[in-house]
Amino acid sequence: MMPRSSVESSSAARSPLTAQVVARCVDVGRTYGTGERAVVALYGTTCTIEAGDRVAITGPSGSGKSTLLHLLSGLETPTVGTIEWPALGGNPRDGAQRAGLVFQAPSLIPSLSVLENVELPLLFGGAARDDARTRALEALALLSLDGLQNDLPQELSGGQAQRVVIARVLAARPQLILADEPTSKLDRGNAEHVAQVLLDVCEEIDAALVVATHDPAIARRLDHIWPMRDGRLLTKDGDAA
Amino acid sequence: MIRIWMAGLLRRQPARLIGAAVGIAIAVALLASLGAFLAHAKATMTSRAVRSVSVDWQVQVAQGADANKVAGLVAKTPGVRAVQSVGFTQVPGFTATTSGSVQSTGGGFVLGIPPTYRATFPGEIRTLTGASSGVLVAQQTASNLHAAPGSQITIQRPGLAPVSVTVAGVVDLPQVDSLFQKVGAPPGSQLSAPPDNIVLLPSSQWNAFSTPLQKARPDLVATQIHTQLSNSLPSDPAAAFAQATGAAHNLEARSSGTATVGNNLGAALDAARGDAAYAQVLFLFLGLPGAILAGLLTATVASSGAARRRGEQALLRIRGASVRQLLRLAAVEAAVIGVVGCVAGLVVALIVGKVAFGSASFGATTASAFAWSGLAVAVGLVITAAAILVPARRDVREQTVAAGRQVITASRLPWWARYGFDVAALIGAGLVFTTTSRNGYQLVLAPEGVPTISVSYWALAGPALLWLGAGLLVWRLVDLLLGRGRRVTSKLLQPLAGRIAPLLGSSMARQRRPLVKAATLLALAIAFAISTATFDATYKAQAEADAQLTNGADVTVTESPGATVGASFAKQLASVPGVKAVEPVQHRYAYVGADLQDMYGVQPASIRSVTALQDAYFIGGSAASMMHTLAAKPDSILVSSETVKDYQLHLGDLLNLRLVDGRTHKQITVPFHYVGIVSEFPTAPKDSFFLTNASYVAQKTGNASVGTFLVNTGGSNSAAVAASVRKLVGPTVAVTDIATVRGKVGSSLTSVDLSGLTRVELAFALVLAAAAGGLVVALGLAERRRSLAIMSALGARRRHLRAAIAGETSILGIAGLIGGVVLGGELSTMLVKVLTGVFDPPPAAITVPWVYLGGLAALIVGCLVAVTVGTLRLAGRSLLPTIRRL
Amino acid sequence: MSAAVEAEALHRFFHAGDEETQALRGVSMAIEPGEFIAVTGPSGSGKSTLLSCLAGLDEPDGGTVRIKGVRITRRPEPERARLRARLVGIVTQSGNLLAHLTVAQNVALVRRLAGARPSPARTMELLDSLGIAARASARPDTLSGGETVRAGLAVALANDPAILLADEPTGELDGVTEHQVLTLMRDRAHGGTAVLVASHSGLVAEAADRIVTLDSGRIA
Repeated sequence: MMPRSSVESSSAARSPLTAQVVARCVDVGRTYGTGERAVVALYGTTCTIEAGDRVAITGPSGSGKSTLLHLLSGLETPTVGTIEWPALGGNPRDGAQRAGLVFQAPSLIPSLSVLENVELPLLFGGAARDDARTRALEALALLSLDGLQNDLPQELSGGQAQRVVIARVLAARPQLILADEPTSKLDRGNAEHVAQVLLDVCEEIDAALVVATHDPAIARRLDHIWPMRDGRLLTKDGDAA
Repeated sequence: MIRIWMAGLLRRQPARLIGAAVGIAIAVALLASLGAFLAHAKATMTSRAVRSVSVDWQVQVAQGADANKVAGLVAKTPGVRAVQSVGFTQVPGFTATTSGSVQSTGGGFVLGIPPTYRATFPGEIRTLTGASSGVLVAQQTASNLHAAPGSQITIQRPGLAPVSVTVAGVVDLPQVDSLFQKVGAPPGSQLSAPPDNIVLLPSSQWNAFSTPLQKARPDLVATQIHTQLSNSLPSDPAAAFAQATGAAHNLEARSSGTATVGNNLGAALDAARGDAAYAQVLFLFLGLPGAILAGLLTATVASSGAARRRGEQALLRIRGASVRQLLRLAAVEAAVIGVVGCVAGLVVALIVGKVAFGSASFGATTASAFAWSGLAVAVGLVITAAAILVPARRDVREQTVAAGRQVITASRLPWWARYGFDVAALIGAGLVFTTTSRNGYQLVLAPEGVPTISVSYWALAGPALLWLGAGLLVWRLVDLLLGRGRRVTSKLLQPLAGRIAPLLGSSMARQRRPLVKAATLLALAIAFAISTATFDATYKAQAEADAQLTNGADVTVTESPGATVGASFAKQLASVPGVKAVEPVQHRYAYVGADLQDMYGVQPASIRSVTALQDAYFIGGSAASMMHTLAAKPDSILVSSETVKDYQLHLGDLLNLRLVDGRTHKQITVPFHYVGIVSEFPTAPKDSFFLTNASYVAQKTGNASVGTFLVNTGGSNSAAVAASVRKLVGPTVAVTDIATVRGKVGSSLTSVDLSGLTRVELAFALVLAAAAGGLVVALGLAERRRSLAIMSALGARRRHLRAAIAGETSILGIAGLIGGVVLGGELSTMLVKVLTGVFDPPPAAITVPWVYLGGLAALIVGCLVAVTVGTLRLAGRSLLPTIRRL
Repeated sequence: MSAAVEAEALHRFFHAGDEETQALRGVSMAIEPGEFIAVTGPSGSGKSTLLSCLAGLDEPDGGTVRIKGVRITRRPEPERARLRARLVGIVTQSGNLLAHLTVAQNVALVRRLAGARPSPARTMELLDSLGIAARASARPDTLSGGETVRAGLAVALANDPAILLADEPTGELDGVTEHQVLTLMRDRAHGGTAVLVASHSGLVAEAADRIVTLDSGRIA
């Protein structure tokens, strides 16, 4: 896949009318701290993510990939610029619709079983107990993890744990999935498997996917690659978009 | 290496070191404060003993020795401030002719009093009526002879002509027991009662009276050198006792057998030192659980850093550190914590001692100060070793670097739970309790007059086992509730957590051990606070009752015998400012058979408005029912158990007593019916006495005169009211107030002022409870920040996060409070029963200090709420950084 | 010349409850001084266990390990610790540094553990050769990902060990930084240290002289 300008991302097959904008950043920036110790993690970033997009954000550590992902998820607010989520109906942090998150380290709660971990976000979102349980079991079954439902996270291997995280995302059926280095702690075999599962799930629930990764093998499987360096998105010419 | 390590720790992770040191400081401070309190209490006991003695030494001059030489020897003894020679003559009896009839008494004594005696020893003789010098007759004797100032009485002399004297005054001898002690006799062979018949003559008159008798019957005449010592005694009763008796023995040795010392001061100090030893055991026993709790707290705080420490150890092992090097690092860390904790604890104790007791020392003597602070430090170091070193050693030995570490530990029952140690300990406690109860809870075995004290430590095992067993049981029950009973927990959390309640229950079940530990600690701390506070409150109430028993009421007005004051005088007394109620009490003498006993007549319906009558005073009914009987059947009489035995009385039996008729001044027989036993009564002596209905006696004898007025001032200002009353009634009437009497009460132990100790122990209990509730929980929750961050990232709302945290603190608080209250109540009851020997009379029920307990509950709830809110806020603030690190 | 590391027929079992896992089944290998070996294999293949046994941290149930001809297996723990301090440098995936000490203090500590005297000059030289001399007085939690790995390397190399063992050292790094770190390790190898890196990273495999693949406790 050739690195393209990061702004437009619609694929040719979809007509502009039906393409729904899931997230849009306009000149977004994030600075930590104040005065002399201020660190500019991200600046001057403008991008659009539409339904069905598969985007890889690449770049060295410190380039701002994670920051951009955090902003897209609504976990952090930009110090400059605006972000909108038209398709989600508001900031995923406050609204009913959430973004699915996959972190580098498996983010399972150690004192809850696999099944309980998967149901948790559904319960937070207001689902009834039985409904949450059913959807969680379905998600686990879909990923062939239902045999592990009563295990504790510490009993799982790295790959298994990440797949449980993806099941958790699947059960919530979000419209936007954000993954920050989801395979970097896994060995080759597991990394391949997890990447495939992630893509399959996105197909299944028709969600937009944004993955921050430095693994070119993963980046290759996605439709678009947005390189970042030193806190901003680059175009194919190496300039800011 | 060690220097770099410690410097780094101190700069980067001081909280971990300080937290552990705080726990140790609390334990050390508590024990050292106890030492300070005991130093203060012992000093008080000593000074009280000294004040209670009027004549320090009564030096008996041996028969045939030169009294003047002995007096000179005594006067020259270092430490002696004043000497007075007192003559003792034994006589067969006295007679008097009054209003046409001849009264005569049995055997008695005639004393020779120097002119300066009363100035030197003001507490020995108290004028009731008449002049203060000249021929003085004891109150009982005057009553027997119907003598008053101006009467003529005749003193019999064996083999010689009787001597006639004119009575100048009637006196009371407050220290008559020690005045007539058999100097030099072993304690068991003292007279059971002092002589009734005593006449005091001025020395010159006595010399004239006794010298001829001495030639004929030298065995009947003796001289005593009454000695006053200058009070430079050490504050420790045992040391003071040693000094006083040492000086006395020294004198006896130097006198080559001519002097024997009746050591009143020594006797009083002996009692005080026995009480001091007992007090030591008592308060150590009360304070030790607190120190142990502080130790457990330290262990918990230290163990919360265990995971981090294990990680560091693993890293060091990778780098090639040997086990010995790791242990050395752990030892240094433990040493720093231990030293800092001990020093801080001692400093705090010194400050506490200064503030609460006014003295900054740990013991009455240098030796005991060292012993106490040494004990406190030793306990502190033991706690350090147990809480920090032992787990570090265990980690080093067990851990292999390569082995994985489990976050969720297996929840197997600990060894003691599998073998049922908790139940065994509780059964043991019950057994010890019932066994000691059969002995009437005799904690201190000190038969009358025997100088040794032996404390039954065995009886203290009961409460100790109860602590242990109940603590372990609480652990087991909370573990059960959170583990197997997770469904119950989930249901309890429903109102707080809504849909995620079952998940919270599951999560708590899997990570329950820290929570169980915290709940147990909290329960134990609450139980300690409750039992300490209840014991203190009961103690204070009983000390109050004891003082009331001796003094009668807040202020007691005692008429001189022979005075005829009617009950109407009560109205005058009631008009004195500060007086709430006045009750008249008759005081007569009645003959039963050949026996003369005191008889008290009361107004049964109203007597309890001025003095608290304890049920323990009576046998065969409660105080209320006895008074009711006296009121309903006016000819009822309550007698002592000796009287019942001597006269083979059965309930309802007729008992005829001979009383003096006020109109004819002759003896008449008055019938009574026996209804019950009274063993103690305010103002009554330790001997047998009668208790009757005043109006019945007044009606039968035509004499309504009142012997004593009991005044209720509402408990405050008794000394001030007493002063006002004194102005009203004049010098011939004795006015005593309860505050002064409290200082002189028989058992110096119960008069020990607990207020300082109370403040200290209860403050410590509050600190411990707050620490257990707040600190431990806070530490546990700090570990949970990562999970909270994940939950927040997954969409948890504020109320979900709040439920996750508040759910734990609520369960902890409820379990801790329930366990603590139950255990505290049990302990209080058991403690009061086991320590019954301290109380005289023993308490009928425990006094519950509701205000303190309410404050305790509020404090704990407040701490838990603060921790919950604080953790929420902390979690909120660290959310983003934690998420970023995910 | 003897090999830097020699392992003969290593066996290792683990018990978890009733189950028994065989982590190593008769693994034998030799690493010459100056060699750079990559150990690959799926997770659960026994890579970490092998490294622990080679380092003397874990005692194999069967077989021998020799470092520079000195046998380290079946020795009392204090001796093994001493040998480890002098002969073996270890870099783990995370947690190579003590949080409450600076980078330079961490290096000094490790020097002391080997019974040597820490010299500030030597420490700075070492840090400089790894490109982090500017961060000598920094605390570990202020370092970036790449700096953390390099600091871990510094601590591992503080006593100039005969062998450097690394367990997934570059897992959290991006391609550029990983490349830099591997270059540093290759330089060390050139200097005579035997280097063994367990990793599933392709870049590590490329940088190595030899690749050893473990599968289910055996060398494939």
